[in-house]
Order: sequence, then structure tokens, then C-alpha cells
Amino acid sequence: MPRKLTPYLFVLPLISFIAVFTYIPIVTSIDLSFRQWDFMTADKPFVGFENYRILFNSREFWNSVRVTVIFAFVSVPIRLMLALLIASALTRETFSRRILRGALFLPSVTSTVSIAVVFSWVFSTDYGMANGLLSLFGVEKIRWMQRPDLALGVLIFINTWKQLGYDIVIYIAGLQAIPQELYDAAAVDGGKRRHVFRRVTIPLVMPTTYFLLVISVIEAFQVFTLVSVMTEGGPAGATDLLVNLLYRIGFTFFDIGQGSALAVLLFILLIALAVIKSRVLGRKVHYEA
Amino acid sequence: MKPDNPILAGLALLAGLIFLSPVLYSIWMSFQTSTAYYTGAVDFTLGNYRLAIGQYNFARYLLNSLIVSGAVTLIGISFATMAAYAFARYSFFGSNLLFAATVATLMIPSHISLIPNYLTLAKVGLLDSYAGLILPAISNGFAAFFLRQYIRGIPRALDEAAYMDGASPLKVLWRVIVPIAKPAILSMGLYIFITEWNNYIWPLVATSRDDLYTLQVGLARLYRINPGEGLINWPLVMAASAISMLPVIAGFVLVERHLVRGITMGAVK
Repeated sequence: MPRKLTPYLFVLPLISFIAVFTYIPIVTSIDLSFRQWDFMTADKPFVGFENYRILFNSREFWNSVRVTVIFAFVSVPIRLMLALLIASALTRETFSRRILRGALFLPSVTSTVSIAVVFSWVFSTDYGMANGLLSLFGVEKIRWMQRPDLALGVLIFINTWKQLGYDIVIYIAGLQAIPQELYDAAAVDGGKRRHVFRRVTIPLVMPTTYFLLVISVIEAFQVFTLVSVMTEGGPAGATDLLVNLLYRIGFTFFDIGQGSALAVLLFILLIALAVIKSRVLGRKVHYEA
Repeated sequence: MKPDNPILAGLALLAGLIFLSPVLYSIWMSFQTSTAYYTGAVDFTLGNYRLAIGQYNFARYLLNSLIVSGAVTLIGISFATMAAYAFARYSFFGSNLLFAATVATLMIPSHISLIPNYLTLAKVGLLDSYAGLILPAISNGFAAFFLRQYIRGIPRALDEAAYMDGASPLKVLWRVIVPIAKPAILSMGLYIFITEWNNYIWPLVATSRDDLYTLQVGLARLYRINPGEGLINWPLVMAASAISMLPVIAGFVLVERHLVRGITMGAVK
């Protein structure tokens, strides 16, 4: 084996699979987004920006954008605030805290389909846990998943429950990186706990917050499984997140051109967020002298 | 680990139980007869599991999930380790570009490739096959990136000593690098396995035959084909759900300890 070829042979399997299943598809998607095609016909006529125009003029698309933006910008701040509070209570290693950390982390490695099914029961009208608990306080049965004003909130709740443990683990790592001297100094100055939290912890853990903020928003824009299993976008489009719309256009209506146009838009948005992430983090992480 | 205040420990345990109560209750429910469930009586049975595994084909789904996740993990971690080794140890024409292309996949949302991958596999006739489920999931840029960082921390002197003894690059990788990087390879393998086990959208798109469904697709089907709320056989659905989540939870609990030990002990001196 000639020495010069060796490294190429080692990277060849990975690189060829990345090329075939990641990079070529990007090009294909862009190409298909300019064509009209439904799987059935042999030719795929070029239609320019027609697919994008149709998308931008459809109520469904803007509804999806609105629902996704609400989902991301309601669920992410709640998650991060809760996660930071819990993480700062769990930073020191003790047996009970490790158990609790494990319990909180478990949902993030558990299958989303199972979680969706379990919570479909929790929020079912007649026998569910949520209505069961509320009935103890005399609250009437609520039809959680049939009400457009509640269904999205329920999905946000479940997503928060599932992802919280991951955020906590990352926050704990971030908190442990804060030099103890800063806390000691604050203690010498007689800082109250609430004060120290606001003046020392929150600012110093900011790089972690930025990191979690951007990756959580990126992830929120890709939520599909919860919607697919629990609501299929309903009731009345109230939970029709963007990837659910993409799936419906592509694999229910078989409108490949328009599905690809939506995929390309999502791609551009998420890449932009990823670039912001690396820019912001590149500047902010060096707080330790 | 620091000693614990028993009151705090009790509270922590309680908080954990409350947090996990929906999942824990779903597992309890899966052992109840459906009549007991609706009447509020307590009557335990394995019947739901028997029904899910026998009549509803979950034995087959379980097998499919094991085959697909197992193959994706083994092939994926091999490809990632080989590439990581080349990126860590060689500088070759195009290596920076290829490495950048590998790392950039971390930013690329998978949904962009959903339709094209479907078309590609349809063209070569691999929809509704194990290969169609496995191939698009094999390349893992994150694992390659992570392992490269790890391998760079292994002293080059170890490679060189092996080369002196006349070993080939493949042998150096297999006999020197892999044993030392084992904790990292194991944790990446576990990460790939869990991700693939829980994968839903690709198996949903790529399969239309019942005997090729993975657990996730089979479970979603079982739940969604139920005619409507109130008529759902919840204990049966929860048994199916438990079948899909328990292997990962059990594996995670078992391997986590091994991983932590491996990471502390396997560190290069």
C-alpha cells in the first residue's frame, strides 16, 4: 500500500457517505425547489421561483411560521430559566443530587414517540393524569388536545419536560467552571444569596446560556415527532410546526417542488442560526483571565 | 461524593419520582388488565405484553430496531474512528477541507436531505429494506470530530514505536489507538445507538411494510390507528411504549457506570 494513499483510504468511507447522504442532497433540494414534480411524471419542468411564491402566498405557511416561532420563543426561555435554577441547586456532588440529576436527565435519552404516547394519555380528557389532578381541586374536565388555544401549550410543556435535563447537565458543567474565588470574594463582601446569583452567577454563566439558547432554538425549529404522534398539526393548524408542514407537503401531497422549497428555507434559517452561534460563542467564552 | 442530609435526600428522591411520574405510571399501567384500568381496580397481568408482542408484531419491531440500530452503530463508529485517526495523525492534500466538510455536518439540519434521500433510495430500489433504513444514518460527523480530538491526545511516540516493529497503519489503529481510545469510542457508540434507536422521521418515510417497521414507527402506528379517544386500549399502548423505551433506559443505566470508570481509568498516563 503506497503511504500517500493511506489517509485517503481511512477517510473514504465516512466522506463518501457524507457526500451521498448530506452534501449531494443539499444540491438536489435546491434544484428540486425550482421544479414542479409529483413523483409520478417523467419530466420535472423548471418553474423558477414559483414554488417559493406559492409558499409565501399561502396562509398555511405563515401559520406554520407563527406557530414555530411561538413554540421556540416560549419554550426556550422557560427551559433555560428553570434549568439554571435547578442546576445551581444541584452543582455540588452528593448522592441524592446525583439521583435527582439522573431522573431529570432520563427523558432526554428516552424515545420521543414513547413520551408522546405517554403524554397523550396524561392529557387525554376522560382518564388522563392532568384532568385527574385538576379534579382534586374541583376543576371541570379540560379537552386539552382538542382546543386550539391549549394544544400548543401542552406540546411546549412536554418538550420542556423532555429537554430540561440536558440543559441542566450543560449548566452544571458551566457553573462548575466558574472560579470559586469569585464566590468567596462575594461572600467576604457580605453578598446575599439572591444578590450573588444575580451579580455573579448569571453574568458568568452567560456563555453557556448563549450556547443553550441558540442550540435550543435550532432544535425547536426541527420538532416533528411530538406533533406527528400527538396532533398531526391540529386542531385547526394550532400545532402545525414547520417540519410537520414539510412532511405533509412532501409525503402526503407528494408536491416535491414545494416541499423542497420549504426545506431550503428551513435550511437557510438554521444555517444562519448556527453561524450566529459560532460567532457569538467565539467572542464570549473567554471570561476567565 | 459528599455525605448527604437524609431529609434533603428524601426530598430529592420525591422530586425525582414526581418528575418521572407520567413514565413510571405508564409502566405500572402496562401491567394492568384494561378492565381493571377503567374500573380503577388493581389486577395485574402480562397480557398486554403478550398481545403487543404476539398479535401486534412488536417482537418483529424489536428485532428490526436492534438490527438497524446495531448496524448503524457498528458501521458508523468504524467509519468515524478510521476517519478520526486519519485526521488526527496525517496531514494530506485536502485534509483541512475534508475535515471542515465533516465538522460542517453538525450545522446541517437533517430535514434538507429527507426528500432527496427518499428519491435516491427509491431509485436504487432500497425503500422498504434494512439497507434503506441503515445507509443514510451511517455517517456521523460528530463522532468523527469528537474522536479526532481524543486521538490527538494520545502520544505519537506510541504509534512510532509500533511502526518501528513493522506494523501497518491499520494495525497501529487497531492495536494501539483503538484500545486507548476505547472509552471515547464506547461513549460515542452509545450515543449513536440511542439516537438511532429513537429515530422516527426517517424510518417513517423509508418504510411502508409492517414487517420492516422499527419500534418507534410501530408504536406511533399502534397509537394512531386507535379509533378515537376513550376507545384507546391504554394499557396495551403503554406496554408497547415500555417495550420501546426500556432497552435504552436499562442500557444507559448499565453502561453509564462502565463509561465513567473507563474514562477515569483509561486516561493516558
